[in-house]
Amino acid sequence: MPESSPFSLAGKVVVQFGGTGLLGRALVDALGAAGATLVVASRDQATIEKGIATSRAAGRQLHAEQVDITNEASVAGLRDRVITTHGRIDGLVFNAVSRPMRGERDTVAAWEESMKVNATGLFLTLRTIADAMGAQPAGGSIVNIASIQGMVGANPWLYEGTAMGTVPDYFFHKGGMLNLTRHYASLYGPKKVRVNVVSPGGIYNPDKPQAAPFLERYGQMTMLGRMAEAREIGGAVVFLLSDAASYVTGVNLPVDGGYTAK
Amino acid sequence: MNATCTGKLVWITGGAGYLGSAITRALDAQGAKVLCLDLPGRAETLVREQGLKSTVPVALDVNDAAALPAALDGLIAAHGLPDGVAHLAFASSSGRRLEDLPAGEFQKTFDQALTPTFVLCRALAEKMKLRGTGSIVLFASMYGVVAPDPRIYAAPLTPNPIDYGASKAAMLQLMRYLAVHYGPHGVRFNCITPGPFPNPAVQSAHPGFVGELAKKTPLNRIGRNDEIAGPALFLLSDASSYVTGHSLVVDGGWTAW
Repeated sequence: MPESSPFSLAGKVVVQFGGTGLLGRALVDALGAAGATLVVASRDQATIEKGIATSRAAGRQLHAEQVDITNEASVAGLRDRVITTHGRIDGLVFNAVSRPMRGERDTVAAWEESMKVNATGLFLTLRTIADAMGAQPAGGSIVNIASIQGMVGANPWLYEGTAMGTVPDYFFHKGGMLNLTRHYASLYGPKKVRVNVVSPGGIYNPDKPQAAPFLERYGQMTMLGRMAEAREIGGAVVFLLSDAASYVTGVNLPVDGGYTAK
Repeated sequence: MNATCTGKLVWITGGAGYLGSAITRALDAQGAKVLCLDLPGRAETLVREQGLKSTVPVALDVNDAAALPAALDGLIAAHGLPDGVAHLAFASSSGRRLEDLPAGEFQKTFDQALTPTFVLCRALAEKMKLRGTGSIVLFASMYGVVAPDPRIYAAPLTPNPIDYGASKAAMLQLMRYLAVHYGPHGVRFNCITPGPFPNPAVQSAHPGFVGELAKKTPLNRIGRNDEIAGPALFLLSDASSYVTGHSLVVDGGWTAW
């Protein structure tokens, strides 16, 4: 993408939380390609380092950082290191997620572990980074990665005859992410901090494809007849981070092939 | 992901208006081939005054449903089938209180805004589906989602009219229906749903009103017309290849709190 594009992130310092998964890696690629100075923060810095080595060799501005989002001091420490090194934080992509629950009947302890990362971690990260952005003259842009499973309930038909299933915590914390986004959009708007959500539909995993009956049925639930490719989410995230979206705040942008529009 | 419209053929109806002209300029700057459709004289003036390089001005009243099919055929024959369309042409009654609005004027808004949109979208999508690609962006409004707050419309202003809001709400459902119908053929339909973008005439005549509009948004300001271009380019470009049936709200947070 040329730097003259209105979607360019050239010169912007963006922190992405969570970057080792299928979507996280695609986002690193999209944000790097858009020209961002990108700090990828994860529990597992070594995996991030390994993942970004190739892109970095291609001339992209990528940095790996370790963070524990359940720990306020750890998030504040990351914020301070980024500002010390890069001068400011223009963008935040919250793509961190923990999936400790194995099924609908899993233990309360597993639910509580999920909430520690997915609810408390989200809240801590947003407040900490939004405060820093709000103190900057140019503000900032926050993009939370939710899911259509934060918008609609599960359709059990999709999973019939497969080993796949649902977990309750995911539907809860992704739904909560939507309105926490609106809350912080209204709270930090006067400080020029925009807060939005991207809600991807199911993403096809080329390395470990979902069960064939599921793929077939899932395709029927969308208008485009297929799951998303991981690379198709980045366009929406780059758009919302960029100045092209300067009057867009508090919105939920589904990238779901029309799954939730029918 | 390709976030640009370089080389794409894009039609913009109402392309010389306050919001439309910002999109026309942005597409022209990207090197898209643009057909700027507006009422006689308007598109020509825009192209001349802005020195646009790759924009063809077209004088056409797209609110005339009866004349539209022949006009569309002529444009396609002359310029080709567009890759993308941004449809901004709209209709509205003006300056009347709800109590005084004749039924005929209410009806006229629907005849001018909604029926031509249906005719335009169907005609183009039927051809796009043979090709297997296309992106059509319709324009709704926050007043198709929420009602205007009468408290901010002090006389001589009258609240944004009911026929306008109802036609914009209908636009959202038209978009969803078309997205479902044409999705399997690769034709995407989305809406941009703008918040407060008063034009320069309103801004200079009613500064107090502009202040009231700003207070209704978390960003505490009205939108600038160039801020509608980015969302339009996103939906027209391949950066949004998996986005369809969506209303992309550009309202500074008006509807989020």
